[in-house]
Amino acid sequence: MSPSSLALEPVSLAAKDIHLAFGPNKVLRGVDIDVPAGTTSAVIGPSGSGKSTLLRTLNRLYEPDSGDILLDGRSVLHDNPDALRQRIGMVFQQFNLFPHRSVLDNVTLALRKLKKMSDETARAVALDQLDRVGLRHKAEVRPGTLSGGQQQRVAIARALAMSPQVMFFDEATSALDPELVKGILALIADLGADGMTMVVVTHEMGFARSAAHNVVFMDHGKVVEAGVPELVFEAAETERLQRFLSQVL
Amino acid sequence: MLRAVADKLGLQINFVGTDFSGLLAQVASRRFDVGSSSITTTDARRQTVGFTNGYDFGYFSLVVPTGSAITGFADLAPGQRIGVVQGTVQEAYVVDSLGLDPVKFPDYNTVYASLKTKQIDAWVAPSQQAVGTVQAGDPAVIIENTFSLDNFVAYAVAAENRPLIDALNSGLDAVIADGTWARLYTDWVPRALPPGWKPGSKAAPLPQLPDFTAIAERNQENAEAPVAVAPKSTLSQLGDAFFTWDLYKQAIPDLFKTGLPNTLILTFSASIIGLVLGLVLAVAGISRSRFLRWPARVYTDIFRGLPEVVIILIIGLGFGPIVGGLTGNNPYPLGIAALGLMAAAYVGEILRSGIQSVEAGQLEASRALGFSYASSMQLVVVPQGIRRVLPALVNQFISLLKASSLVYFLGLIASQRELFQVGRDLNAQTGNLSPLVAAGLFYLALTIPLTHLVNYIDGRLRRGRTATEAEDPLDPTTTQEMV
Repeated sequence: MSPSSLALEPVSLAAKDIHLAFGPNKVLRGVDIDVPAGTTSAVIGPSGSGKSTLLRTLNRLYEPDSGDILLDGRSVLHDNPDALRQRIGMVFQQFNLFPHRSVLDNVTLALRKLKKMSDETARAVALDQLDRVGLRHKAEVRPGTLSGGQQQRVAIARALAMSPQVMFFDEATSALDPELVKGILALIADLGADGMTMVVVTHEMGFARSAAHNVVFMDHGKVVEAGVPELVFEAAETERLQRFLSQVL
Repeated sequence: MLRAVADKLGLQINFVGTDFSGLLAQVASRRFDVGSSSITTTDARRQTVGFTNGYDFGYFSLVVPTGSAITGFADLAPGQRIGVVQGTVQEAYVVDSLGLDPVKFPDYNTVYASLKTKQIDAWVAPSQQAVGTVQAGDPAVIIENTFSLDNFVAYAVAAENRPLIDALNSGLDAVIADGTWARLYTDWVPRALPPGWKPGSKAAPLPQLPDFTAIAERNQENAEAPVAVAPKSTLSQLGDAFFTWDLYKQAIPDLFKTGLPNTLILTFSASIIGLVLGLVLAVAGISRSRFLRWPARVYTDIFRGLPEVVIILIIGLGFGPIVGGLTGNNPYPLGIAALGLMAAAYVGEILRSGIQSVEAGQLEASRALGFSYASSMQLVVVPQGIRRVLPALVNQFISLLKASSLVYFLGLIASQRELFQVGRDLNAQTGNLSPLVAAGLFYLALTIPLTHLVNYIDGRLRRGRTATEAEDPLDPTTTQEMV
């Protein structure tokens, strides 16, 4: 599945006591998370628990009100947020490909404009990543002509092309038809197996159990339980996690 | 007459046509040195401009449709539709002296056209205008003349430009002394001077005029019985007014050589201002900073809320004198600026709605890749927003094309006339509407293809483009990427 290997230099990611409120609405209420280098953390929890907001706060699409974010052990809160986000790839539920640009352009845009690659270099890197997701032959078409699964593969290639040190997946399979979910999950699992540091917000409990090193259960803007999958799934300590698992499993 | 006066003074005259409604303001602001349009002096006008001595006196004619029951000024009564040109002394005469409420028209052609089609009952006209306009065979007659000694006819000059007024006065006295005035007067408006009035200054000699009554009587005797011209049917009247082929032939070369290029220059230049400024307004309008949002909001409200004509007059006549040195009193830069500023307000709103219709995820995805807010807007959000509103933008372009005709309010010399003004000039010279119809055809030739372009773009945006199409010629991003 992966003809090209990533030039990985895995780093660790950690967040300490993150708080974030939108007006009176406290979305994150003291979140701690620890993702060692080269591991995958699956974030699970009911809708509105703050999972997606946590991802967007970790790459500073939202600025936390308080707390700290450490990448490779170093606080990134005073870095240029645009530079920080170049180091963290992100894949969205709704793919969010740029519909007015070809598949290839979607992948090369940031390479050319931000990494200042020449057109040829950017094209080579992009085709390599499209190859990884099996869509090299669709390089010239517009995203609108692709299936949801194909679009999500392009979105993954777009993120990987930037050679990120960490990858975020925000419910990457929730908008897909059921028969397409497996392929995308396999792609994400492969990436984890290759040693990418990843935070995967997901409703796929099977994936969380089998592919993640750690599972984080969030509810009401807080991490309620965290640990290795076996512990979280087999020996839930809190009543809230037990109830959640009984509803989704 | 003005030529003769200028010859005496050794001055050269450059005539520029403009709308009467803006003439005095433009003279006052020194855009024009002299205003000449059989202008009758009134106290109200003296507030705005200075006047030379009189070269004619206020002489009004009453024009009515053939067969009208009205036989003179005495028959005018409330309830009748009495046409006048807005802002003229005739309007003041009808209102103040007759105590009636007139129907106001923007120019003499329109009022006469309305009279011929019996949409008004009478027209109180300057005599010169009436004599020149009413042709044999027209369904209209001049039935009575009257004069007003309070107000004489003179040239308008900026009030503070005393040297020019003095010079024109001495020139006028000179053409009266050498008989030129009497000759011109006899040719143009043969009628006796009212008792107690003479042209020029008090020092000017009384002009020697022939005895008009005697001449008229002699003519009456000599003349054959006037050829009875049968009044034309309404249908052939309309046919003549709109479809006189000779006038089409006369109008079309000018429309092509002068009108079309000027209309396109005006429209394209204004469009560019409108697009650039509109984009700034759109981006400012959705900015998080209220110091950007509010000015954009206020600007849009003002320029979208004012009628086009008002904007053109405010910019053209208000800013004209301020920047007169820069523009050389050429109305084009101001006209383009006015049209562009106006278009920007609409374009800004169109673009803003387009940009706001782009899903929030697009901005988020772009920022997640590491692009700044500005780069994300430029590369991802704005291009998509523009594509979505392309049909609306083309529509705006079409209305701008039509609005470009309004620069005629600012006064254009012959080579500056755009399509409408070329048609209007020939229309004014002939009183026939055919040249305007010809100009209209030119507008249609420009706008109809654009309308179809809109439909084409619209359909394509709806269907999406097919995978086989390699490059999108309408894609604004392809040009942006060349940078």
